Amino acid sequence: MPKTPVPEAIPLPEVMIVPSRLLSAGTTEKLLNKIRRVKHVRQLTVSGEDLPAGISWGPGKGLKVDHDERRKIDYGGQEVELKVQVGRVFAEIDDIDSVKKALKEIEAICEEMLPFGFQLEVGRYSKYRPTVTDYKKRMR
Amino acid sequence: MAYQRQFYPGASLPAKNRRRFMDPSVKLDKLREVAMEDVVKILGHRQPGEEYRSIHPPLEEGTEPDCPIRQLVTPIPGAKAGDRIRYVQFTDSVYFAPIIPYVRAWMNVSRFRGVDTGTLSGRQIIEMRERDLEKCAKELIENETFDPARTGIRGATVHGHACRLDENGLMFDAWQRYRWNAKKGEVEYVKDQVAIPLDKPISVGKPLSESELKKRTTMFRVDGVDMRDDKEVMNVNLRIHRLRTLAGYQPFAMKE
Repeated sequence: MPKTPVPEAIPLPEVMIVPSRLLSAGTTEKLLNKIRRVKHVRQLTVSGEDLPAGISWGPGKGLKVDHDERRKIDYGGQEVELKVQVGRVFAEIDDIDSVKKALKEIEAICEEMLPFGFQLEVGRYSKYRPTVTDYKKRMR
Repeated sequence: MAYQRQFYPGASLPAKNRRRFMDPSVKLDKLREVAMEDVVKILGHRQPGEEYRSIHPPLEEGTEPDCPIRQLVTPIPGAKAGDRIRYVQFTDSVYFAPIIPYVRAWMNVSRFRGVDTGTLSGRQIIEMRERDLEKCAKELIENETFDPARTGIRGATVHGHACRLDENGLMFDAWQRYRWNAKKGEVEYVKDQVAIPLDKPISVGKPLSESELKKRTTMFRVDGVDMRDDKEVMNVNLRIHRLRTLAGYQPFAMKE
């Protein structure tokens, strides 16, 4: 997060995709690259289960985990390191009047990519203006 | 009339399975074969073939003080030899793993001698003398209480029991102790229970199908068998809850 986050004038809507299974890095890569091409998708955020690079405690402390799903993926020609096993994808839509159309396209992509099932929801799931905590942390 | 031991109330499928798991006279189905050497490797407490380390002299040496309890209780082999106490810990997915931690605890104290169990929401640890633990762990990995995909052998960082399964149907493990072998259609352990890499993968077999898991489950779930549909289970649970709420640790003091 930048030190001085720029607030959005109006909170933009997000489409939340919740697959019924945790996604592999391969599926995540394909899914993100398809959704990013949907018109009016402004940015994509993913969340999921943390995949640590190494073991930080216990008898195996210091060893590498080497999880198959923690790897670099190609996102629109850009290399991004995936550090989570993806459980949710948030697509921010830049125009509130285009949400329905974008949602339809995203649903079609999910039907093709996620045969094990998924849920879609529209809302706002991340903060769009600084909170009290941000003030406390002197980020604003 | 002599008292007949009871295990669990209810007529629903999970209730019947709970009774089966807890009743030591029932022989549980053996679903897979894992060599003792491989079990020892997964536990990671000693190398296969290595001597058991001891924490006290063998009981045969007679250095123990005279005690009526010692005369009453027959020691298990590990205690006789003076073995260390070691552990194995299982994580059970909420997605219809064959057994759940609490039932594991009930089953262990009912079926095994010399066992100490600790139960948490998603995992269950067993502490035992080392040589007895190995036998017990082998039995628990080979029998129907274990499913390669929905049960994990995890000594530390057990997180995953309440996470969604991955695309291959495996329970999430941040340390990836086991992997899906797509060619064989089997789950393989590539690390021991504390995630120290093994020299070669150990197969624990094919995961059970969803329908088979639902047949064997001890789990009450709204998308399976709802606990509220089993009147006897509900009555017993409500009775325990009522006695605990109104009488605390003195349920016998309640006049019903």
